[in-house]
Amino acid sequence: MQVFIAQVINGLSLGSIYVLLVTGFNLLLLVAMIIHFSYPQVVVFSMYVTWVVLRLTGNNIPLGVLAGVTSSVAVNLISAPLFQKVMAKRGEVDINSTMVLSMGIGMIITDVLSHSFNQGLTIAFPDSLSSDAPLLRIGVISIVSGEVWSLAIGIVAVAGFFLLLYRTRPGRAFRAIAEDPNGARLVGIPILRTGLYSYALSGVLGGIIAILLAMLLGSASPGLGEQVAHKVLAVSIIAGLGNLAGGLVVGLLLGILEAIVQGYISGSWSNAIAFVIMLVVILVKPKGLFGTRL
Amino acid sequence: MARNDALLTVQGLSVSYGHINALKQASLEVFPGEIVVLIGANGAGKTTLLETVLGINMPLAGEITFNGKAVGGAHADRNVRAGLCLVPEGRGVFASMSVLDNLLLGAHHNMRNVTRNLERVYEWFPILRTRRDQVARTLSGGERQMLAIGRALMSAPKLIMIDEPSIGLAPIVVNDIFFILTRLNQEGYTILLSEQNAFKALKCAHRGYVLETGSVTMTGSAEQLLNDPGVKAAYLGA
Repeated sequence: MQVFIAQVINGLSLGSIYVLLVTGFNLLLLVAMIIHFSYPQVVVFSMYVTWVVLRLTGNNIPLGVLAGVTSSVAVNLISAPLFQKVMAKRGEVDINSTMVLSMGIGMIITDVLSHSFNQGLTIAFPDSLSSDAPLLRIGVISIVSGEVWSLAIGIVAVAGFFLLLYRTRPGRAFRAIAEDPNGARLVGIPILRTGLYSYALSGVLGGIIAILLAMLLGSASPGLGEQVAHKVLAVSIIAGLGNLAGGLVVGLLLGILEAIVQGYISGSWSNAIAFVIMLVVILVKPKGLFGTRL
Repeated sequence: MARNDALLTVQGLSVSYGHINALKQASLEVFPGEIVVLIGANGAGKTTLLETVLGINMPLAGEITFNGKAVGGAHADRNVRAGLCLVPEGRGVFASMSVLDNLLLGAHHNMRNVTRNLERVYEWFPILRTRRDQVARTLSGGERQMLAIGRALMSAPKLIMIDEPSIGLAPIVVNDIFFILTRLNQEGYTILLSEQNAFKALKCAHRGYVLETGSVTMTGSAEQLLNDPGVKAAYLGA
């Protein structure tokens, strides 16, 4: 029972990261109308930027966090004109062409990370960011501060995002574009500029995710982004593409599932088991558990 | 009325989608305080004309002047800010958003007096106040049309364009809608509407234009058009 509770907490903190990743991915899908398959690679790039800044500043955490968020927003905003150039011809171009562009960006990032940082070796974050000092120890289980912090920040970030979406003027415009881009144009919502806001917002989310991943994993490698990208795509399809509430549920479930497998079977099997279960779900519900919202 | 007093002037407007010429050299004017109706069959170019004025389509040729300024080019958001608005055909409201959210979307560029404007829209359409937290999907056809018009009012428009307000509505509801349009006009709103069912529209309008396959073929006062044998035969079912 104690192992179970510990793994659920662990799973929730991992799950909240999946939720944020899927949310950022879905936001770009719904508002910017692109398939940013490599969004997680952008996040991992920000982890590396954070790592460099931490090393240069002697582990100044606020500066590291700032650098992570800024770099993620910057990468998103720099790639936005490329995507928008493709999307401006939406009538003629299929949305899948944005996925090719995204994959290209992802590969460039992965290559840059493996050639230019730490000789391609895994980078480790300082203890001050990813402390595995136990906050609480009951019997065999211990709850590590990195997990608790990333869970707490994850909850705040998800709540903040949904508040913004449902209670603010740009959030309303996001939802209008997501539901009906042409209708949104008819009421005078600037599609491209509002789309740009969604690049910026998913950049902010990406920066937060980068910090949370650093806290939870304590390390990063060039291939991390690609590995996570598959899961994010799977989670968003299982939940129903573009379904934000569905992504919230499935993201948390996947995190808990992986943690439980790690706790009771073996960490090395968690990916395989998670994907087998997702395969079964997609066979039973091809449109996702909660239905696509596109 | 002097020519240069027009609120909206469309001069020789041509629009094409690929090889299809949807509008050919269409011209019209709307003066402040008027209700002007665009009559035409399905596919005559009514929607294209209204959407091009709003700034959705890029015109091939022609000039659009609104409130003394040229508004050619596809800049719908800029034009909405300048006081143009369009109530789309088929009551294009956002079905999965609440009534209140739909109204607030209309105020996207006009958030300053939002509370007062909301209050005024609720006075026009008390049903929207009752249903403000409901999703728009749950509204009846007539209520949706009211929501679409209410949303337009939220932008404090100088000209309200309404595309086929009566389409798909029960006759009794159509009467309500035209009654509301007449009252809005009496309150000072200028209205340009398109209609396939010309009779009721001409009854409440001041002037009209007949659009056939992308060209304006006839124009006159509402009374002239109502009594014109050609219009009668083609659009009034008489």
